Amino acid sequence: MMIPDRSEYLKGLAQTGQKIMGVLPALYPRELLWAFDIHAAEIWDPPGEILHANAHLQTTICPIVKKSLEFILKDPDIINAGYLFPHTCDSLQNLGTQVKDLIGVSLPVYTFYNPKGSFNNTTIKYYRDILQNFQLTLETIYRPLDPEKLLTACELSHKIDSHLLAIHQARMTNHLSLSNEEYFKLMRAQEYLLPADYLNLLEQVDILDQPGESLKTRLMVSGILPPTSKILEFLDELGVSIVADDLLAGSRRIPKFSMDAPSSPIDYLTDRFFVLPPCSTRGGDLDERMHHISTRMKDSRAQGMLFDMVKFCEPELFDHRLLVKTLREKSIPVLTLETELEHHISGQDKTRIEAFTELLFDMVST
Amino acid sequence: MSIRAELKYKIMKDYGAPAVMAFQDFKRRKPRPVPEAFGPPLETNKRLKEILSRHYFLSRYVPGVKKVAWVTSGAPVELLRAFDFYTIYPENHSALVGAKKQGADYCGIAERSGFSQDLCSYARIDLGHMLSGKTPAGKLPKPDLLFCSNNICQTVLYWYKAIAHELNIPLIHFDAPFVTTEQTEADINYMAQQLQDMIPILERVSGRVFYQNIFEDILKRSMETSKTWGAILDAMKAQPAPMTIFDAFGHLAPIVSLRGLPVAQDYYHILMEEVDARVSMGIGAISDERYRLIWDNIAIWYKVRFLATFFAERKMNFVTATYTNAWAETTGYLDVKDPWISMAKTYGQIILNNNLKHRLDLMKKMIKTYSVDGMVMHSTRSCKPYSVGQFDLRKAITADLDLPAVILDADIADERVWSEQQIHTRLEAFCETLEGSKFG
Repeated sequence: MMIPDRSEYLKGLAQTGQKIMGVLPALYPRELLWAFDIHAAEIWDPPGEILHANAHLQTTICPIVKKSLEFILKDPDIINAGYLFPHTCDSLQNLGTQVKDLIGVSLPVYTFYNPKGSFNNTTIKYYRDILQNFQLTLETIYRPLDPEKLLTACELSHKIDSHLLAIHQARMTNHLSLSNEEYFKLMRAQEYLLPADYLNLLEQVDILDQPGESLKTRLMVSGILPPTSKILEFLDELGVSIVADDLLAGSRRIPKFSMDAPSSPIDYLTDRFFVLPPCSTRGGDLDERMHHISTRMKDSRAQGMLFDMVKFCEPELFDHRLLVKTLREKSIPVLTLETELEHHISGQDKTRIEAFTELLFDMVST
Repeated sequence: MSIRAELKYKIMKDYGAPAVMAFQDFKRRKPRPVPEAFGPPLETNKRLKEILSRHYFLSRYVPGVKKVAWVTSGAPVELLRAFDFYTIYPENHSALVGAKKQGADYCGIAERSGFSQDLCSYARIDLGHMLSGKTPAGKLPKPDLLFCSNNICQTVLYWYKAIAHELNIPLIHFDAPFVTTEQTEADINYMAQQLQDMIPILERVSGRVFYQNIFEDILKRSMETSKTWGAILDAMKAQPAPMTIFDAFGHLAPIVSLRGLPVAQDYYHILMEEVDARVSMGIGAISDERYRLIWDNIAIWYKVRFLATFFAERKMNFVTATYTNAWAETTGYLDVKDPWISMAKTYGQIILNNNLKHRLDLMKKMIKTYSVDGMVMHSTRSCKPYSVGQFDLRKAITADLDLPAVILDADIADERVWSEQQIHTRLEAFCETLEGSKFG
């Protein structure tokens, strides 16, 4: 399975004249963009040092926001259709208006509000309205929406979701022979591959008929992004397999269950938003989130939980205490790491991971 | 509702509270000497202390008499008033803890229980209070309901969720979509509908029926109170200004936490009268006002006195602030004839829920109308919606208006963040620039 390099792939696409929009985390109606032939290239943790962004943001702002701004300030050629700021948290909310109204970029800046809190019929109606408003915004810039194209985009999205659900299930039940690094590389390829290319990639994933080796220590991971590749590599070396996730850049963006194939696109997109797993950034109920995590842990037979917390991420940090407390009450070992999205792994983190996995090994052997 | 509890509350309200207030007044009979740099203190300060102390004092006797709601500062509290909830504002309480320089202590309780030090200090103080029961207000009643709106930040939603879970009580959240350019019809209708959806829940929790006429009266009162508060702030355009913004930080408490009640309405009439009288007599808040400043962001509660004195000694007076203005800015949208839609407009467009172009334009307008010579921005690690964007706001304002400005990196209520040396150096440099730019 060959996964193209993010930067090379996007460069190649831009050279073909493909419209590419830079999209910040996390939830947005990608299908609407696809229906306008716009490719969504997601910006989560672009590589490179944070230099210029420091002139615009305080030291206590999360590295995802800072790295995103650093990327935008470079005015990269690969982004040619503008930037989309979905409403995820206070910092991204303000960054959107900061870039649009104060810093100024040569490309258009769009926003998309994701409703917060507990959802009911009023929220559902509102979400439909904002989808339609977003469609109107795109229509004023591009062309009237072709309903057939939107339906096709939704069908593509539905197929991708179905594959991802199957792959997640396979991962949980040991029917996938991918290392941690390979697995998350595959998951994160959706952030930049064209949907058809991504679907093609997913179709190549080999789901085993019989469960594979089950001696490995099994771990669930929670946070915004998967652990960095160095940590994933290290876990691979230690014989630890991440079998389930509660990641914003991972399973929190995939419906909890398989949805019916789309017939009415706006209905489909609305339904899809409301069947996503509980997420701190949407401000949902804590019990519901804890229940979801517990179910995932049980289904995947994960023995421990790794919280990989992005520094200064308020939505995650608020929920974190209760999640840790509840898991500990259930005697589930928990390790919390704090990340500033560095590309190395500190000696201290290495030692903590080793000690944690030893604890899990001991649990498995007893 | 228990008859015993009601009787106790009535006795405390009619006799206990006045007695306690009189005792406190007796204890305070020896007024603290006023430094020379300041003008005579506002007489209304005494009344402010009375009504706030009374509110906190009576809250102890409220359980069993009225339902208690903990509310965020930007939430449309008028709706709760229609059900006679006794409201407590955790942000206000956290500011009180911060002002008493006890923030680190309360934050520490929350941190030791597992909350991160990187979280908002208002939230940590409140969680510290919830976990320990500690409060400088004596005792606070446990809430029957939580009511929050993310029109001031998303943080309040996460914070209130944590309380709701811990105390196993209902949480009502008013979702206010962020205004990126202007409010859409969908945004307004969504908010208006949410408010109406809340009525059956509030009826259930309070055990009271909703009456539209009572609600409208409350709305009228709230509107009138906010307008008076706006007029008080407007009076600070006078030279010399009759108050400093540090006074206003204190006098803000009733509009935040008692909005919609007669006591707040009456209070601001008294304050307005005093402020008007000072303006007509040319009495300034500082004895020799030579420079006029604008403050951006929430107060640094544990350093209010220090900052007030530091600037007053340099003949500098803060005459306006984006923070104090927030409870007057959108009042004009309130309309009793169309309560739901008008509340959606009022509460949806407040400064922290509005884009930075709006904030930039507003600040420029304030700088001009209040004849401001310099700007102090508090970059607080607790409040992302207030702080993210400040660097570029400063740049835009200094470039367009040629206004000296300084950014202070601190926190609203966690005094551990304060760096005396660094702030002092920055402030001295700012004052030198300001003096040079005005009379240089």
